[in-house]
Amino acid sequence: MAPLRWLVLLPALALALGPAAAEGSRRLPALEALGEAEELAEELWGAGLPGDLPELEPECRQLLADFAEGSAALTGCLGRNARPVRLCQACHRHYRQLLVQYGNIARAVGNSSESHNCAKSILTSDRLQIIVTLSDFFNETWEAANCANCLKNNSEGLSNSTVEFLDLFNKSLTCFEHNLQGQTIHLSPNNYTEVCKNCNETYKMLNDLYNNLQKMNRQGGESGHSAHLCIDVEDAMNITRKLWSRTFNCSVPCSDTVPVIAVSSFILFLPIVFYLSSFLHSKQKKRILILPKRIQSNASLVNIQEKYS
Amino acid sequence: MANVAKKVSWSGRDRDEDDYDEDGRAGETTPLLNGTGPGAAAGSRQLTPSSFLRIGQLSNVDLNEDVHELETELPRQRPNEIPHNEKLLSLKYESLDYDNSENQLFLEEERRINHTAFRTVEIKRWVICAMIGILTGLVACFIDIVVENLAGLKYRVVKGNIDKFTEKGGLSFSLLLWATLNASVVMVGSVIVAFIEPVAAGSGIPQIKCYLNGVKIPHVVRLKTLVIKVCGVILSVVGGLAVGKEGPMIHSGAVIAAGISQGRSTSLKRDFKIFEYFRRDTEKRDFVSAGAAAGVSAAFGAPVGGVLFSLEEGASFWNQFLTWRIFFASMISTFTLNSVLSVYHGNAWDLSSPGLINFGRFDNEKMGYTIQEIPIFIFMGVVGGILGALFNALNYWLTMFRIRYIHRPCLQVVEAMLVAAVTATVGFVMIYCSRDCQPIQGSTVAYPLQLFCADGEYNSMATAFFNTPEKSVVNLFHDAPGSYNPMTLGMFTLMYFFLACWTYGLTVSAGVFIPSLLIGAAWGRLFGISLSYLTKGPIWADPGKYALMGAAAQLGGIVRMTLSLTVIMMEATGNVTYGFPIMLVLMTAKIVGDYFVEGLYDMHIQLQSVPFLHWEAPVTSHSLTAREVMSAPVTCLRRIERVGTVVDILSDTSSNHNGFPVVESNPGTTQVAGLRGLILRSQLIVLLKHKVFVERANLSLVQRRLKLKDFRDAYPRFPPIQSIHVSQDERECMIDLSEFMNPSPYTVPQEASLPRVFKLFRALGLRHLVVVNNRNEVVGMVTRKDLARYRLGKEGLEELSLAQT
Repeated sequence: MAPLRWLVLLPALALALGPAAAEGSRRLPALEALGEAEELAEELWGAGLPGDLPELEPECRQLLADFAEGSAALTGCLGRNARPVRLCQACHRHYRQLLVQYGNIARAVGNSSESHNCAKSILTSDRLQIIVTLSDFFNETWEAANCANCLKNNSEGLSNSTVEFLDLFNKSLTCFEHNLQGQTIHLSPNNYTEVCKNCNETYKMLNDLYNNLQKMNRQGGESGHSAHLCIDVEDAMNITRKLWSRTFNCSVPCSDTVPVIAVSSFILFLPIVFYLSSFLHSKQKKRILILPKRIQSNASLVNIQEKYS
Repeated sequence: MANVAKKVSWSGRDRDEDDYDEDGRAGETTPLLNGTGPGAAAGSRQLTPSSFLRIGQLSNVDLNEDVHELETELPRQRPNEIPHNEKLLSLKYESLDYDNSENQLFLEEERRINHTAFRTVEIKRWVICAMIGILTGLVACFIDIVVENLAGLKYRVVKGNIDKFTEKGGLSFSLLLWATLNASVVMVGSVIVAFIEPVAAGSGIPQIKCYLNGVKIPHVVRLKTLVIKVCGVILSVVGGLAVGKEGPMIHSGAVIAAGISQGRSTSLKRDFKIFEYFRRDTEKRDFVSAGAAAGVSAAFGAPVGGVLFSLEEGASFWNQFLTWRIFFASMISTFTLNSVLSVYHGNAWDLSSPGLINFGRFDNEKMGYTIQEIPIFIFMGVVGGILGALFNALNYWLTMFRIRYIHRPCLQVVEAMLVAAVTATVGFVMIYCSRDCQPIQGSTVAYPLQLFCADGEYNSMATAFFNTPEKSVVNLFHDAPGSYNPMTLGMFTLMYFFLACWTYGLTVSAGVFIPSLLIGAAWGRLFGISLSYLTKGPIWADPGKYALMGAAAQLGGIVRMTLSLTVIMMEATGNVTYGFPIMLVLMTAKIVGDYFVEGLYDMHIQLQSVPFLHWEAPVTSHSLTAREVMSAPVTCLRRIERVGTVVDILSDTSSNHNGFPVVESNPGTTQVAGLRGLILRSQLIVLLKHKVFVERANLSLVQRRLKLKDFRDAYPRFPPIQSIHVSQDERECMIDLSEFMNPSPYTVPQEASLPRVFKLFRALGLRHLVVVNNRNEVVGMVTRKDLARYRLGKEGLEELSLAQT
C-alpha cells in the first residue's frame, strides 16, 4: 500500500512545493495556491451548476482549509529541511498542529443536517479520500523518521538528550571549522592532523553520547519503540563520522598484520601436525572378519563379484 | 568374561538395552556410529565349532555335504583382520522385534482386557503424543534460549575486545581470545560426548533413521543420550563451529518419545507404573517416529514436514491412525515452542517464532518468481547437486580416516578443539582481510564489527562469520541487495564449505542442516548478484530469492531428502508458491548428486556398518534363493527342552542368536521334526529367571502363573544370561516352551528368491524368518544381516562381510 500512497501523493506535493520554490517568499505560498484553487471551484459551481448540489458546510469548509494550510506548511518544512536532515527539530510544531487539525475534521459534526457531518463528507465520501491519504503520508513519514524518539513524551519540544547531542554536534562542527580556518585552503587531502588532534575529544564525546543513546534506545526498544534513533540525530552523527574518517582520515586503526599472520598460521598449522601424527602413530583400527554360517553354493558366486579372492 | 557377572544386574544399568553382546565390555565402551569399537582385545575369539550344542534334528540329510564343504573351506586363508571399510556389517547391531509374538500369554491378556480397556489404551496413545509434543517443544526452547544468551555473551566479549584492540593495536590477542574461547567451549562439548555418550555425536538423524528402519542401536533412545545431546548441541553452537542445532532436535524428540511412552527411565531408575502396555518394540517404534516428527517440527516450524520426514524414513510400518497422531504431536510441538518463545521475547500471544530457525517472510512482491526463472532454478539445482556430491565425497574420506585413526576419545576431543580454533581463525582472517564495508544505518546486524572500516560502517564479512549460523542464513536471505559484495560471498562460500565438511563427523553433537543452508545461501546470493550484473538491467533478481534456492539446492545435494525436505523448506519460508521451484531444485540436486555419490546420512550409515534395509532388494538378485541367503545350520530347541541345554545355548558366546525355532520334541529319537514355533532369547531369559520348569509345576507349588507383564517389565534391557543362576539340579529340569513361543512364525520355502524374502522381511518388520523345506523342517534362518549383505555396488551385486567392530 505504501508505494501507492506515495504515488498518489507526488502531484499533491509538487503542487504544494512548486509555488514555494518559485516565489521563495516568507509567506505561505502554498496556502495562496490552495486559495486560488478554491476560488476557481467556487466560480465553477456558481456559474453553471444547479444550486441544490450538496454544498459543503461553511464550518467544514473552514476545517478543510485549515487542514490544507497545515499540510502545506508541513510539506514545505519537510522539504526545506531535507538536507541536512532537520525534520524533527524543525517541523514537529507543524506536525502537531496538523494532527490537531485532522483531529478536528474527524471529530467535527456539521449542524445543518444530521446525516451530513464534516468527517463523513470530507474523509469518506469519495474513492480518492485525499485527506486521509495526506494524513497517512505524514504519519508514515513521521514514523519512518522516528521523530518521536527525539521529542519529549508529550511531543512538545526536543528531549533533553537530543538537545545535549545537538549541542555537542554543533560544538564539534565549530571545532572542525576553527581548526580548518587556520590552515590554507589548498591543503593536501591527507594533512588534517591539526583537526584530528584538536577535535578528538569533542568527537569522542559525541560518539560516546551517540552510542549511549543507541544503547538506551535498544533497551527501551523491547517495549514497543523501534530500534532506530530519530533521523536528525542519526544523520548528524553520520555526517560527522564521514567527515572524521573519510574526509579528515582521522581514525587510522593500527593494523598489526605481522602478529596476526603469525598467530593464525600457527593455529592453522596445528591440525596438520595433529593429523600427521595421528596417522603415523595411532594404531590403525582393524576389524575382525566373521565368517557367516552359510551354505556355499556355486550359483551365488556367479552373481557376486568376490572382492577378496 | 569374569567381570561380567558382577557388573550386570537385573536393572542392567551398565548394559545396553538387551545388548547381550558376548563380552560385556561392548556396552559402555562402544561408541556407536563413531568409530571406536571395543578394541582388539576380543580379537582372538574365533568361531568355535559348537556343534555339540546343536541338536541333531536340524540337519537335513542332504545338507550334510554342504555343511561339510563349508567347514573345509574355512581354513581358506582370508585376511582375518582388515582395516575398516564401507563393505562391512557390524555384529553390534540387532533388529527390533516389530513382529508381535502371539503366544498363549498374549491371547490370554487380550481376552482379559475388555473393549473399554482398549479404548483407554487408545486415549493413552494420544496423551503420550501430546506430551511428546510439549516436551520436545520445551527442549527446543531451552536450547534456543541458552544458545542465544551464551552466544550473545561470547560475541559481545569478543567484539568488545576487537574494538578495543583496533584502536591500540594488538589484534592478534583478539584472535587468540576468540580461538581460545571457541576451543574451550567445544572441548567441554566434545568431552561429554566422547567420554560419556558417544552415540550423541553428530546430528542423530542417521541413528534415528536406522532405528525407524528397525535396527536397534545401543543407547540411542536413552535419557542420558538426551541430556548429553542437548548440552552438546548448545556447546558446539556456542563454540562457533560450523554446525546447527536443528538436526539434533530430531534425535532429542525421538528420545523424549521413547522415554515418555515407556513411563519410566532406567537411567534414573524410576518406574512411574504407567503406560506399561507400550513396553515393546512395536509400540515404542511408533512413538519414536512421532518424536522424530515433533523434533523436525520444532526445529523448522514445519509440522507437516515433520510427519513426512517420519513417513519418508520409516514408511514400512505405517498406518493412517499413526499419521494422524504423529501430526498431532508435531503440531503440539511447534505450538509449544512458538508460545513459549513468544513469551520469552516479550510479545506473548504473538506466536511469531514457530521454529528454531525462521527463514523470515518471503511474501513481498520482489520475492515472487516468474516462469522464466525456473530454468535458472533448475540450473542451481544442478550446481547444488555437484557441490553436495563434492561435500559428501570429501566427508567420506575424512570419516574413513577418522574411523581408522582417530578412534581414541582423547584424540577426538583434541580434533574437535582444533577444528573450533581453526574455525575462529579462518573467520578472523577473513574479516581482517575483507575491505567490504557497509553503512551501519538501517541494517539489522546483531554484532557489527567495525575493524578497519570508517566510523559508522561495519565489516560485511563479519555479518557472515561473526554470528551464529542461523542468523547468518537469515541475513543472507533478507539483507537488502547490495549488503554483500560478490568477493565477500565467494570467499565465504569457499571457506565455509570446507569448514562445514571438516566439522561434520566430529565427536560433538551438531547438525548439518544449517551449515548446508548457509553454504547454499551464500553461493545462491552470489549467483543472484552475478545474474543481475549479467543482465545489466536494474536488479530484477532479488538476491534473497536466489539465496533461498541455493540453500535448498545445497541441502538437497548433501542430504538427498526429497518430499519431506520440500515441505520443510516450504513451511519454513511460509510461502506455498515456492513449493514448485523448491521441488524442482531438490529433485535436480538429488538426481545430479546421486549420479556421483549417495547422500550424507546413507553414507554415514554405511560407514558405520549398520545392517540397514533399503526399500527394495537389489534389482539383480532374483537368482539368489533363500537357501543361499540364509544362515545354516540353525540352533533349534525342542518344545520341551532340558534347562541345561537352554542355558548352554544362551551362554555360548560364539553364537549370540536371538531367536530359536522350536521343533517338535521326540525324545529318544534322532528323527527330524517339524517346526512348531519361534522363541526369543529375551523370553527364554525371563523364563529361566522365573524358573518356569515343568518339574516345579508338577510339584504343585503355589506358583504365580507368568503373565505378559513379566516380560514387559524386563523390557528393554533384558538381563544377560550370566546373571541368571541355574543350579546343577535345575539343569536337569525340563522347560515347556509351547506356551511362550510364537506358534506361527513366518516361514519361507528354500526356493524363495531374495527379493521375495526381502519384501516379506522388510514389510512386516521381521527379525527372524525361518526357512523350511517342504516337510516343514527347519533348514535355515534369515535375519537382517543376511539380507543387508547384498548391495548393488558399482560393478553389480556385492556382498558385504560381517565383522566384529
